[in-house]
Amino acid sequence: MTSLLELVVRLALWLLLAPLLPGVVNKVKAWAAGRTGPPVLQLYYDLSRLWGKSVVMSGLASPGLVAGPAIAWVALVAAAMLLPLGPAGGALSFSGDVLLLVALLAAARFCTAWAAMEAGSAFGGMGAAREVSFAVLSEAALITAILSLSVQTGSVVLDGMLSLSSGPGAVLLAAGLFCVLLAENCRVPFDDPNTHLELTMIHEAMALDHSGPPLAVILHGASVKLLIFAVLVSEAVLPLGRLPATEAAAALAASVAFVTVGVGLVESLLARLAFRRVPLLLTSAFLLCLFALLLAWKGGAR
Amino acid sequence: MNETQNLLIGMAMGLNLLALGSSRLPSVVRAMAVQGVVLGLLPIVIEARFDWLVALVGVVTIAVKGVVIPSLLRRAMRAANIEREIEPFIGFVPSLLLGAVGTIAAVALAHELPLLPEHAGTLLVPGSLASIFTGFILLVGRVKAISQVCGYLILENGIYLFGLLLIHSTPLLVESGILLDLTVGVFVIGIIVDRIQRAFDSLDTRKLTALHE
Amino acid sequence: MSIGLLLLAALAALGASVVLGRSLPRAWLALSVAGSGAILAAAVVELAGAPEWEWRSAFRIGGEPLHLRLDGLSAIFAALLGAVGALGAIYGREYWSDRHAGGSAPRGRAWWSAMLVSMGFVLLSSNGLHFLIAWESFAISGYFLITLDDRHRGAREAGWLYLASSHAGTLCLFAFFAILAGRTGSWDLGPMHGQPGLAPLFWLAFCGFGVKAGLFPLHIWLPSAHANAPSHVSALMSGVAIKMGIYGLVRFGGWLPLPAAAGWVLMGAGMLTALFGIASAFAQNDLKRLLAYCSVENVGIIAIGVGGAFLGAAHGDAPWGRLLLAGALLHVWSHGLLKSLLFLGAGSVVNATGTREISRLGGLWRPMPWTAAAFCLGAAAISGLPPLNGFVSEWMVFLGLFEAAADRGPCAWAAGPAAIALATAGALAVATFIKAASTAFLGAPRSKAVSGARECGPLMRGPMLALAGASLAAGLAPFALWPALARAVGSWNPRWAGAGPPAPLLPLGAANIALAALLAVAAAWLWRRAHANGLRRGPTWDCGYSAPTPRMQYTGGSFSGIEAGWLSWMLRSGRVRHPPRGLFPADAERIEPVSEAVLARVLEPAGRFVLRLSAGTRRLQHGRLPFYIAYLVGGLAALAALVMIK
Repeated sequence: MTSLLELVVRLALWLLLAPLLPGVVNKVKAWAAGRTGPPVLQLYYDLSRLWGKSVVMSGLASPGLVAGPAIAWVALVAAAMLLPLGPAGGALSFSGDVLLLVALLAAARFCTAWAAMEAGSAFGGMGAAREVSFAVLSEAALITAILSLSVQTGSVVLDGMLSLSSGPGAVLLAAGLFCVLLAENCRVPFDDPNTHLELTMIHEAMALDHSGPPLAVILHGASVKLLIFAVLVSEAVLPLGRLPATEAAAALAASVAFVTVGVGLVESLLARLAFRRVPLLLTSAFLLCLFALLLAWKGGAR
Repeated sequence: MNETQNLLIGMAMGLNLLALGSSRLPSVVRAMAVQGVVLGLLPIVIEARFDWLVALVGVVTIAVKGVVIPSLLRRAMRAANIEREIEPFIGFVPSLLLGAVGTIAAVALAHELPLLPEHAGTLLVPGSLASIFTGFILLVGRVKAISQVCGYLILENGIYLFGLLLIHSTPLLVESGILLDLTVGVFVIGIIVDRIQRAFDSLDTRKLTALHE
Repeated sequence: MSIGLLLLAALAALGASVVLGRSLPRAWLALSVAGSGAILAAAVVELAGAPEWEWRSAFRIGGEPLHLRLDGLSAIFAALLGAVGALGAIYGREYWSDRHAGGSAPRGRAWWSAMLVSMGFVLLSSNGLHFLIAWESFAISGYFLITLDDRHRGAREAGWLYLASSHAGTLCLFAFFAILAGRTGSWDLGPMHGQPGLAPLFWLAFCGFGVKAGLFPLHIWLPSAHANAPSHVSALMSGVAIKMGIYGLVRFGGWLPLPAAAGWVLMGAGMLTALFGIASAFAQNDLKRLLAYCSVENVGIIAIGVGGAFLGAAHGDAPWGRLLLAGALLHVWSHGLLKSLLFLGAGSVVNATGTREISRLGGLWRPMPWTAAAFCLGAAAISGLPPLNGFVSEWMVFLGLFEAAADRGPCAWAAGPAAIALATAGALAVATFIKAASTAFLGAPRSKAVSGARECGPLMRGPMLALAGASLAAGLAPFALWPALARAVGSWNPRWAGAGPPAPLLPLGAANIALAALLAVAAAWLWRRAHANGLRRGPTWDCGYSAPTPRMQYTGGSFSGIEAGWLSWMLRSGRVRHPPRGLFPADAERIEPVSEAVLARVLEPAGRFVLRLSAGTRRLQHGRLPFYIAYLVGGLAALAALVMIK
């Protein structure tokens, strides 16, 4: 059990650093397009502005419209607390905590889709249907990646899985997990966060009928989810447990920045994939993680 | 040496899956070309000492499989004016999954075969079996003639890989002969594709059954 | 109180309720609740640490003395039986009352108690002959309960399919018990590890119990039976009756020596069942059929756990095997409670709106807030979301599979794919229950069926809220359930008794409690903040569309359309289209019925083939006497030829 101070510092770190990531992504996209783009701290300004606004709720919606985002946010922050931060370990560590993390991500998805269906709009249904359908494939890929980490290190605790060295399948795992990151966070090529066309929306469609503080909570939760996946990808590949504490922290921070810039570059260079081709890409991500699992299996058996 | 070998063959197996998943024909041709280059490097890697003949054959293989044959295919594609495989027999996701299953089965099968100890730890046999299976999937499951030609060439890559097991016994002249055959074959295919396109206004090989009685 | 006295009281109360059920509804309710409560109490006493209860009678039934036994394993299932039996009886008192259902209500009450008694005897019997008698009466009472509403053709067909499948399974069980009695010399049942010749009999038991549990491809009767039965009956069947099949598998897997492939086959069957079940559930538009297919999925999850336990026991009593068995038994409880809750909620919806079709519902949270809250809690729980009990049991099974895979033993080849299949099934379950709950309860009403909806009465609301509360409590305090599970696991495999919990249930429980508290606080705080900032109600914005109608919302079919497209090779739904005719907008219709895949694509063609063959042979039955004599002569000639060849 960690001390209360450590818990508060860890929480503050996650909550305050998370909105930086979408800002960095947008800045990279702007740079690639030859624009100046919004300031890196834009999401912070947006969140504080939204927090003070009033709420317009659809007449059809139950209190679940407001409760849904809140529950999703708590689930995401709890998942973030479970994730080890390099040498610091997770807030609470026990055998099987990685499965609690996956379940918390699923709970966040459930509540976001629920809040989308609350308003009784066509777009909400569309966004929710696409989100939960694609999540089936990305969940298979994520569990395969976690299984390969577990088989490689022989441990079922997040601390043990993520701090030991990366195995022979590190490149495959990185590629597969990066693909899952793009899918779960609704980035190009799965979803375009800047689109205005309903035909191309997933995440945007789910947030259409929210306003004010609930919308701020949804946006912040999305950035926390991006940070969770960026940290997961970095820790799955880098052997942070072997380095001394300061070097490991610096390596983690550099790697998260690298992943974020990578997301920005992918968003600038690729176009959104037609929805009927998304299963192909997610199946490829699943196969990448599967081959990483088989390499991890082979690596230990020899 | 073993590690570099395994890395190259691993890349070739990955390119198999890339070829299975792409619907754009230029991507399939490029995957097949890169696979040829990678496999052309292999004899140079396998031979511990530097041999002029081996290096020459390697360079010629890379040139033919990586540059000549793909350019012939690209010319044929431009003449026939096709870019995509739209509706294959075996869909893209099923063929990708089938290819993955085939790769895993090839590794398992290679375990059971009685190989020499120097070959038992490498990915030579699994890689070759996987490439052969991928080639067959492309030959059977695709509809456009160019995809089927690429499948045939991947099949040839697999057989070539298997032949590397016998690298010390087979004269490299035989390998060169096979290479020449391939080049001429693809050259002829390029001409035929043009003719098929002119006769049927499409490269859909199902239309070729119109020639039977 | 002694277990024997409690069980005798239960038998007396339930027996009396069978007799009185036809005429005195209130007495029936009191007696069945008392009887079920006594069963629950006996199970709790046993699980709390009482020694194993065994009783042999002096008199004989069918030539065999009665031999009853209640150990940890049967106590788990008996507790579930008692709880769901009592709550379902309370629910049925209002849901299928004389006023509502007319002549079938007295029959329903009598058969309900009869089913509880027969299930109790199935759990207690330790003699093959009496097990079969109890099993058969349990199957028959199920048939009469399913066809209570025999005015509907769907219910009659469902009952017939159920009876046929059930008897096919019972046939296998007849063979199993008869051969077992022949080989061991007596009908008495007990641990029989010393006789390896009995191992192949497990496959007979697998088929027989697999039909009842609903393993793929033996599940064909389950969807239509649970969908067309009255909802409290569906709750009892989905929650308890199919667990009798699981009970049989676990019990005889523990008592008999197992063939080497048993664990592998059961795990493989479990994986297929889970994936097929939830994929089919996602495509359904009938609320109760969706819940029935979800039961198939959860039976698959339990089968994965039990199969893993078999493998663990066979490979040196591995600790992950113990974890998997504990997880499977906990999932029996979780699913039993949750599926009963969901079916009772669905019954409330069907009662209020008169339709089972999700795409005709919508906006039911306003007239029926209690049902909505209970159903949504059940939906979230059964999707495996923390901090509820569905998550805890699935987590235990997952952890067991991960430990088996990380062990790199021979069983890792089964555990890895099983874990991936379980995760995919979990994601599909989230999707399915978002579809079911949000299409039915949220948004605007999609048809006039919703206009007369009113919240159900206290007798229907009470059981739902009790089940919801129990689910929440079980999720928040899993370590409190561990002693009961340890007792059951220990009675199944004595080498697994005695050690501490194989999984860190205490930190998990703490995390769950913290999470639940934080969720409540965050939701309340955000609601207050929204009100403080100023909350205004307006029409749905929907990206600025000026005239939204309820028909523009996503229906159940459109929600699952993406997935149904990917899986069309498996589901093969039909399509009925009536496009609009003429120049101006007119009525149009598109119906995509999803039939049971194995039934429609395997069994029905096979059945038609058999019928065609037999129709062909009917030509022999033409009534002309000389030909019949010729058949006789031909038969004699064939016999003579046979004698000559020998």
